[in-house]
Amino acid sequence: MATLPQERGAPAAPPQIDVGGDYKEKYGFFVPEDYIFKAKRGLNPEIVKEISWMKKEPEWMTKMRLRSLEIFRKKPMPTWGADLSVIDFENIFYYLKASDKQSKTWDDLPPDIKKTYDRLGVPEAERKFLAGVSAQYESEVVYHSLHEELTKKGVIFTDTDSALRDHPELFKEYFGTIIPPADNKFAALNTAVWSGGSFIYIPKGVRVEIPLQAYFRINAENMGQFERTLIICDEGSFVHYIEGCTAPIYTTDSLHSAVVEIIVKRNARCRYTTIQNWSTNVFNLVTKRAQVFGDATMEWVDGNLGSQITMKYPSVYLMEPGAKGDVLSVAFAGKGQHQDAGGKMIHVAPNTTSTITSKSISKAGGRTSYRGHIKMYPGANNCKSFVKCDALLLDDESRSDTYPYNDVDAENVTLGHEATVSKVSDEQLFYLMSRGIPRSEAETMIVNGFIEPFTKELPLEYAVELNRLIQLEMEGSVG
Amino acid sequence: MVSTQTPLEDVHFQGEPDWLLDRRRAAFDLYTRLPMPSRTDEEWRRTDVSRLDPAQFMRFEKAGPEHDGSPTTMIGADLPDGVILESLTGTARENARLIEPRLFSLLRPDRDRLAAFHAALFTGGVFLYVPDGVTIEKPIIGRHSSFDDGTAVLPHTLIVAGKNSRFNYLDEYIADRDDEQGYRTGSVEIFLGEGAQVSYVSVQKWGRNAWHFSDQRAELSKDSALRLFNVTLGGRFSKTRVEASLMGPGADAELKAIYFASGEQFFDFHTLQDHQVGRTRSDLLFKGALQDRASTVYAGLIRIEKGAARSDAYQANRNLVLSDHAKATSIPMLEIDNNDVRCTHGATVGPVDPQHLFYLRSRGIPESTAKRMIVQGFFGDVLDRIPFEHARTLIEAELESRLG
Repeated sequence: MATLPQERGAPAAPPQIDVGGDYKEKYGFFVPEDYIFKAKRGLNPEIVKEISWMKKEPEWMTKMRLRSLEIFRKKPMPTWGADLSVIDFENIFYYLKASDKQSKTWDDLPPDIKKTYDRLGVPEAERKFLAGVSAQYESEVVYHSLHEELTKKGVIFTDTDSALRDHPELFKEYFGTIIPPADNKFAALNTAVWSGGSFIYIPKGVRVEIPLQAYFRINAENMGQFERTLIICDEGSFVHYIEGCTAPIYTTDSLHSAVVEIIVKRNARCRYTTIQNWSTNVFNLVTKRAQVFGDATMEWVDGNLGSQITMKYPSVYLMEPGAKGDVLSVAFAGKGQHQDAGGKMIHVAPNTTSTITSKSISKAGGRTSYRGHIKMYPGANNCKSFVKCDALLLDDESRSDTYPYNDVDAENVTLGHEATVSKVSDEQLFYLMSRGIPRSEAETMIVNGFIEPFTKELPLEYAVELNRLIQLEMEGSVG
Repeated sequence: MVSTQTPLEDVHFQGEPDWLLDRRRAAFDLYTRLPMPSRTDEEWRRTDVSRLDPAQFMRFEKAGPEHDGSPTTMIGADLPDGVILESLTGTARENARLIEPRLFSLLRPDRDRLAAFHAALFTGGVFLYVPDGVTIEKPIIGRHSSFDDGTAVLPHTLIVAGKNSRFNYLDEYIADRDDEQGYRTGSVEIFLGEGAQVSYVSVQKWGRNAWHFSDQRAELSKDSALRLFNVTLGGRFSKTRVEASLMGPGADAELKAIYFASGEQFFDFHTLQDHQVGRTRSDLLFKGALQDRASTVYAGLIRIEKGAARSDAYQANRNLVLSDHAKATSIPMLEIDNNDVRCTHGATVGPVDPQHLFYLRSRGIPESTAKRMIVQGFFGDVLDRIPFEHARTLIEAELESRLG
């Protein structure tokens, strides 16, 4: 397993235990019995070929992976944003069998993670799943009935590896078209070594009313390190996909570099909700992009609570008139964390609209940065875009930055940007305290109120968990 | 075409004290060594100077009040005792004690090639020193003119405001002919002593084919207040950097600008509100109108240092785009390292609100007049605060002529 030096004191050498001797029979893992795959650190064409071979992928995918590895090697590290020089690409496991991943025990978990699970009231089985101790929890029944209904409607909801096997044509048509490997260094890395993630196809006119959640899917790889998600919303369809969960996800992997590609065709609507709460040893470098066609809508609801460094700017390419893009982003940076998040709106077609709302909270020396880009190409006339960023600094050690980049080459456009940075206001505190609410509780209420535009967009159970989590993060932090 | 003779041997620089000539030489050396800013530098990403060769303009016109022998500044009027208002190069020897430690200490020549060019070859300008406690009621005007095509006019203003002094100063950069080409600057360094209250206005109306670079930087001590206005109308290419360092508690900087770009004009503004200590305030408002094929770039940063608690900073850039082919880019940035602050910024880019236009037209006002009224109203809140009647009239006339 990938252990690395970290402040939380991850286990140096967790004892190898066998989680569920019947794992292979039960879940049908596809590794041939006679093959013993020994995970190796580092990145080279051999490892990439091996990953592809292990997954029995078609040749075009193997070639694409190898080509992407070349691109990854050639591209320089980004010189802006967070400091990424500490990442040692040669000291990372790029592919682990599911059975390798589960070789941790509950006792190996850092105590603060356990405490958080306790306080959030996460059920025992779910905790083990989140901590990477077990591969699943008891959502099997719910999922199966849901799955049946979806399948009847023609919805495909599966992990990306299976999709490549079972829906090769659909897969090949869209994979890598929204975010080509050459887009950026980490997209190239992901394309070379991707594993897991979700694949969703919603047929024409189908509306999926229940949010699809990544962790409904019973698959050991659905919270992978280099996951790859592809969502296709055909004309007039609707889907809400939820990635991640509020409870912290413990992993010993130091680098999480996912790619999410979404196509929203005419009149369709897609909402993608992320609540990222990786343990604070993780570098979270994610590329997320959607292409939106005529009168369709893409909404990114993006919450970043965990990780050491996150660099993530969900983007929307507005391809045809009437397309609409929306990013709602919340970031919380505690001690030692840097959340460099934001959004990008690329107006390619005229008469398109976009909004970005960013809320960030920094405490205990944490740093949040809003980084955004609004681009309006020549000919993308009569577009509107509005960006609003609010930052709350909870103490004087913390830091907040706002870097909006606007490139407008179109005519008759309206563009607005607003940002505020402040602390918890003394007036608000005084008001609450004068009503007998203790200071720390009052501060938590104010913070929860501050991110309310975000929480109200979440399904209820997530919103409740998020509020509890904020409460936990706030304890003893201010005042 | 650079001659073997360095331009510093130009007759213009004869008679300057050695310390100043040494500095010019050092800056000129920097100029020859530094590369031209390129579009890979963040600051110059949207500002293209690849077609500029400063060397082609190494023919100097003397700028500043002494140009034609008749000081157009308020020089000569009864100035209170101890006030020095002189040509900067002319008095550099006599007032070296005041000038030497300050000149180019805020605007460092090593910042980039164009800053070095200006520091090496500045062709005059004004030195104003107002002693502690002195108030000058009458406005002071520095008038800088250019008369020739293809020359460099590089005025530099140095202002030292003593403790609790109070005065208003206007730098006016005017071209004799509107179509002349050339390389123009108009930079200023302002030092505000404790409790000083200074209004500074810069009106830039160089020829519409000129390159213009202006660097302005002020340093504010405890309880001092600066009101700095920029009015940018001229130049084919104009880049203005406005920076205020708030160094003492109670310091208060108000940075305002109006700009009107038309034809093929390109204006670039770069601002910095640098809150070094706490209990400081800054308020920035840049308002611009664009028509025809003009384009503007605004990039501003509020920087709140770690210890600068109870700072209050505001930054806004509003652009009124009057034509479909004009382009305004606005990049307001914040870097906040302290929580006990109030920082707000905003930027807008948009056309004239059709509802406003409709309202006026429904009252029988022709469209062009209605548009002019909207633009005048848009500039009004900045314009009304400029403490120079004379500057306001000039600007209003210019707006009127451009809006037809």
